[in-house]
Amino acid sequence: MLNPKEIISTLQMVREENLDLRTVTVGINLTDCVSDDIERFKRNIYNKITHTASKLVSTCQRIERRYGIEVANKRISISPIAVVAAPFNASQMVEIALTLDKAADELGVDFIGGFSALVEKGMSAGDKALIDAIPQALTESKRICSSVNVASTRAGLNMDAIKHMGGIIKQAANMTAEDDGLAAAKLVVFANIPQDVPFMAGAYLGIGEADAVVSVGVSGPGVVKAALERAMNEEEGMDLSRAADVIKQTAARLTRAGELVGREVAQALGLPFGIVDLSLAPTPNENDSVGEIFEAVGLPAIGAPGSTAFLAMLNDAVKKGGAFASSHVGGLSGAFIPVCEDLTIAESARQGTLSLEKLEAMTAVCSVGLDMVALPGDTSEEMISAIIADEMAIGVINKKTTAARLIPAPGKKAGDHVVFGGLLGEGPVMAVNMGSQENRFVRLGGRIPAPIQSLVN
Amino acid sequence: MNKVLISVLGSDQPGIIAIVSNVINKRNGNIENLSQTLLNDVFGALLQAELGEDDSAEALQQAIEAACQDMALFIRVHSWSETTSDWHQHKPEVQPYIVTAIGPDSQGLVAEIAGKLFTHGVNITNIQAIFKGGDNPMNNLMVFEVDVPRATEMNDLRDALDDIAKRLALEISVQHRKIFDSVSNILN
Repeated sequence: MLNPKEIISTLQMVREENLDLRTVTVGINLTDCVSDDIERFKRNIYNKITHTASKLVSTCQRIERRYGIEVANKRISISPIAVVAAPFNASQMVEIALTLDKAADELGVDFIGGFSALVEKGMSAGDKALIDAIPQALTESKRICSSVNVASTRAGLNMDAIKHMGGIIKQAANMTAEDDGLAAAKLVVFANIPQDVPFMAGAYLGIGEADAVVSVGVSGPGVVKAALERAMNEEEGMDLSRAADVIKQTAARLTRAGELVGREVAQALGLPFGIVDLSLAPTPNENDSVGEIFEAVGLPAIGAPGSTAFLAMLNDAVKKGGAFASSHVGGLSGAFIPVCEDLTIAESARQGTLSLEKLEAMTAVCSVGLDMVALPGDTSEEMISAIIADEMAIGVINKKTTAARLIPAPGKKAGDHVVFGGLLGEGPVMAVNMGSQENRFVRLGGRIPAPIQSLVN
Repeated sequence: MNKVLISVLGSDQPGIIAIVSNVINKRNGNIENLSQTLLNDVFGALLQAELGEDDSAEALQQAIEAACQDMALFIRVHSWSETTSDWHQHKPEVQPYIVTAIGPDSQGLVAEIAGKLFTHGVNITNIQAIFKGGDNPMNNLMVFEVDVPRATEMNDLRDALDDIAKRLALEISVQHRKIFDSVSNILN
C-alpha cells in the first residue's frame, strides 16, 4: 500500500511543479562513418543516425504515458564533427550540418548536438573548417547545436581559438539579424566540456563513449522551489542547513524519476544507459524558474548580494542529492542560470539587479556559465573574446565546466528586448560596462598555460 | 484444517484486538494473518485463524460476542476453505498501476471508475480516498491501486477513464506504480 502523502507529493511534482524530463538524448558514435568522400560520408551519418534512433520519439511517447511524466525534448548527440569530418572544408561542413538537420527532421527530434570541435590546446584543419562553418551552418539549419571547447584545466586556455570565436559569434549573430542573432544562441564556447551532457547546446558524444548510449536530463526548478516554500511556511526553526537538506532530498527524488524513465527508454531501444544529468534548467515559464528559487529563500531577487552564496549552496545540494540517488550521474548536474531562458533571471537583469559582472561572479559556483546572455549589437569581437576568456579562466582554475553562450544582438542596445522563441526564451540586452571595445590583450593570442592544478599525476 | 475468517467492525476503541485475540488463544486457536484499518473513527479488522480442535465457527463467534458484549461491535466468523477465486487461481500477468482521480466528490464517482476498471479486466488491490474539501485539489483525491492484466489495452482504458473525467469534472491519471515507488523510496 502506498502512503497517501507520497502519492500526493509525486502527483504534485508532475502536475503543478513542472517536473519534466527535459530531454532523453541518444548519443551516437559516428567514428565508423568516416570517409574522404563527402557524399559517402553524408550518406553514412544520415543512415547511422536515422537507423539508431528510429524509435526514439515513439518510445519516449509510450513511456511518458506509462509514467505520466512528460519528456519535453528528444535529442541526438553525436561524435564531434570536427573529428569525424576532418578531411572536409568549411563549405562541406555546412553541407554536413544540413544533412544532420535533415536526419533530425526525419526522426522528429528537437535538437542534434555535436557540430563541435575540441581545440583547447590547438586547432587542426578539420577544427578550423568546422568552426568557420558554424555561422552559416547554424543560420541555415533549424535543429543543429554547436559547441567549441577552447580551454581545459589540463591544457589551459587556447587564446588563439578564443580570439577566433569572438568573430565567429559576431558573424553567427549578424547572419540571423532578423531573429535577434538566433544562430549565436545555438553556439556555446566551453572550458572542460563534459563528454556526456544531454543538455543543449553543449551536447556531444565524447570519443570515450559507447557506440550508442541513452542519457537523460532531468529538470525541475519548480519542484525545488515548491519544496523550499513548503518548508519555509510550515517548518519552525527553518534555517539554511535545513534548506540544503530539502534541496538535496528533492534532487534525489527528481533523479530517481529520471533514471527510471531513462533506463526504460534505453531498454526499449536496446541501448546501454549512460547517465542522469540532474540540472535545474529553467524554461521561460512561470513555476519553472531557477530565479524563483532565490526568491523562495528570501533573496530580494537573483543577482542581489547573497546570490552567489545561495547559488553555491544550491548547486552543491543538487549534486549531492543526485549523486546519492543514482550511481551514474554525469553531464553538468547542478543549477543553470541562463538569462533569457528564465523569466525571473531575465526580469532581474532588466531591472538592473543582475549585472553582467555579478552574473560572471555567480558562474564561479553554478554548473555552467554565462548562458543565454544577450549583449549590445555593437559589442566588438575582441570584447566578446575577452568576456569568454574570463569565463574560461574561472572554469580552468576551479576544475569545473564553464561556458559562454553570448548573443550580440544586431542593432540592439543595452536594455532593449530580444526574443529567440521556444525554450531559448527572451530577455533584455545586458550592458557591457567594461571600458574600451578594443582589447590588445586578446590580440596577443597564444596560450595561457595550464594551471598548477593540472599537474596531478 | 479448520480455518475461519473473522471480521470485526465497529467504533474504534482500545481493546478490540486484545479481546478478540485473547478469546481465540484461550480456545487454542491461532491467528495466522490479520489486517486492521481505520476509516475516520470506524474500526475494521479481518483475521485468518486456525481453530482449536473441536471448535467451530459458530461457537467462536458466540464466544467473541460474549467477550465484547458492551463494545457495540459487529462480529462474524465464517468457515473458510482455502479455495481461492478464479482470478487468483488463474491470475494473468499483471502490471501495477496507480489510478488517481482529483476533483470534487460526487455521487457515483467510485462506482463509475471501479465499473470501468472492472470491464477492462482490472483488479483493484487497494483504494484510498482523501476528501477534505476546500480549494486545494490535492485535498479531494481518490487513489486506486490496481493490477492491470497484460491483455488490457491501456489506450482503451485511458479513453474510458477520460470520458468519466469529463463528465464528473475530474482529473484522472493512470501511472505505472514504479514512478511512485522510485520517487518516494530513495533508500531502496
